[in-house]
Amino acid sequence: MSIIKVENLSFGYRSKEEILKEISFEVTSGTFLAIAGPNGAGKTTLLNLLCGLLSAKAGSINIDTTPIETYSVKELAQKIAVVRQEFIPVFDFTVVQVVSMARTPYLGTFGFESQTDKKFINEALEMTDTARFSSRPLAELSGGERQRVFIARALAQNTPILLLDEPTAFLDLKHQVDIYDLLKTMQQEKGKTIVAVTHDINLGAQYADVALLLGADSSYQHGYAAEVFSAEQIERVFGVRGFTGRIDREKFFIPLGKFAKDSSQIGRKPDSSA
Amino acid sequence: MAETLTSGKLTIRVVICLAVLVVVMCLCAVVGTQEISLKKVFAGPGQKPGENIDYEIFVGVRLPRVILAALVGAALACSGVILQAILRNPLADPYILGISSGAGLGAITAVIFGITWNFWGGSPMAVFAFAGALGTVWLVWFIGRFTGKSQVTSLLLAGVVINAFLSAVIMFLTSIAKSDQLRLTIYWLMGNITEKSLSVLGVSAACILAGIFALFCISHRLNVLTLGEEEAKGLGVDTTKTRAAAFGLAAFITAVAVKLSGLVGFVGLIIPHGVRLIFGPDHRQLLPVSGIIGGIFLVIADTLARTVFGQEQLPVGVITAIAGGPFFLFLLAKYSRKVSWLK
Repeated sequence: MSIIKVENLSFGYRSKEEILKEISFEVTSGTFLAIAGPNGAGKTTLLNLLCGLLSAKAGSINIDTTPIETYSVKELAQKIAVVRQEFIPVFDFTVVQVVSMARTPYLGTFGFESQTDKKFINEALEMTDTARFSSRPLAELSGGERQRVFIARALAQNTPILLLDEPTAFLDLKHQVDIYDLLKTMQQEKGKTIVAVTHDINLGAQYADVALLLGADSSYQHGYAAEVFSAEQIERVFGVRGFTGRIDREKFFIPLGKFAKDSSQIGRKPDSSA
Repeated sequence: MAETLTSGKLTIRVVICLAVLVVVMCLCAVVGTQEISLKKVFAGPGQKPGENIDYEIFVGVRLPRVILAALVGAALACSGVILQAILRNPLADPYILGISSGAGLGAITAVIFGITWNFWGGSPMAVFAFAGALGTVWLVWFIGRFTGKSQVTSLLLAGVVINAFLSAVIMFLTSIAKSDQLRLTIYWLMGNITEKSLSVLGVSAACILAGIFALFCISHRLNVLTLGEEEAKGLGVDTTKTRAAAFGLAAFITAVAVKLSGLVGFVGLIIPHGVRLIFGPDHRQLLPVSGIIGGIFLVIADTLARTVFGQEQLPVGVITAIAGGPFFLFLLAKYSRKVSWLK
């Protein structure tokens, strides 16, 4: 069953330029979709369309078979949780306070959390391993820890869909892998549908089931991650040559620039390296 | 504050703060240039008027004034909390951003041009003050949209300019005013609490308390709003509606406070900041507690204003500005981050 259905979607910030042109794809419930592409291809724009922050110029988006524009802000927040790049809030909110904000679309008049709300909050803190520093302000955490807090908040929001905009930008290797592990666990244990915009093709290929590759020329490729993230596609869309290899079932791509020490590696195919 | 806030915890804290407020109000009502004894006050009004002068001073003069100070303090502190949340700027304050001046200009226009017609029972001074406050709020918000997220100081700069401009207009109007209005107007501009009739007090109290209650009902959404527009929408908050409601209500209670007491500065800055340091930034708690502490602060400041120089009363705005100015500079340095020696 497809939980997100995008049909002939077009969007541009100015009337004549269209960043996204007639894009159609479906996301099956419980799958992991990676959206990749060069800067300016419209990845974040697409994400903002999917979470209702922008409205489409043409075409339609259906969430759970209902057009996205028929949802109220509150109803949509019960379907979709969004994680953007981590940041430090203006005021000194603690981890548990930020995670508690996830329950806003469920609160009553005076805005106090019920026992059910607290259960979701505690579960999210445990699952993301943020419970041990739950009483610390966000400003005192490292970037990786902070990003886990925002993922915990998305988890506490208890939505079937999770959208992420470059969740691992500015994080070191270990934290990048940790975040992707966490997302995969949420997909497998909670059955969440995950849509992540990423610059990291290798991690995207490793974790995602399906991929959407947006080109700067408004072209796009949609399909199984392993097929979409092929050397030819990446070289064409990003305009960079590189080395493609394979270790067991994991494919990887290393970009090689003009000054690469061994340029004979350029263009080698995974098959020939085995 | 490690734990999550529950309605039970909040109720206990609010009740404790209210108890402190009542005690402070009673103590301050006893203090004054004319000494009165509590014992005589509790003896009651007596058989005929004028029999128990202590009682009449306490109930007729001191108590209304203390209540007035508490109301104004609560309104300004809450207004500060709201402006800081919506503008996502810990240095926002109705006085610094020129909103008090806007309300003042409105009120003074009504006084100087002798406008006496009524709107739906509201006095022209109050209606003009509200219009002035609302106009300035809109202007500040409009400028705030251009200055972006992290520009703490540029918004303040805009506020200072608006404030200076409105003050100039106010000064122009006072300089063409009749001389008998002059001294009172100037005192009012400096922030002056005087005795008001009970009916004025009752209506103002109802307005301010209703405004604060309405703000309390949206305070959990304000928490989310401080994370920014995109985040707030993602968490199911209708940002346009919430912001409009919060701005309108903040302008409303500011206008009522300004009409009562003129331009009292810095209460909306000092109080929310202090409360946030102790109780954390959760607006469901920050708003009511700041309101009560703001009341306590202004009651004490007003008591100082009317007792320090004996019979000669100071405008209370002078006291709050002397306390608030240096505090504001300290915060400005702290939040600008560029000044490393304070961090």
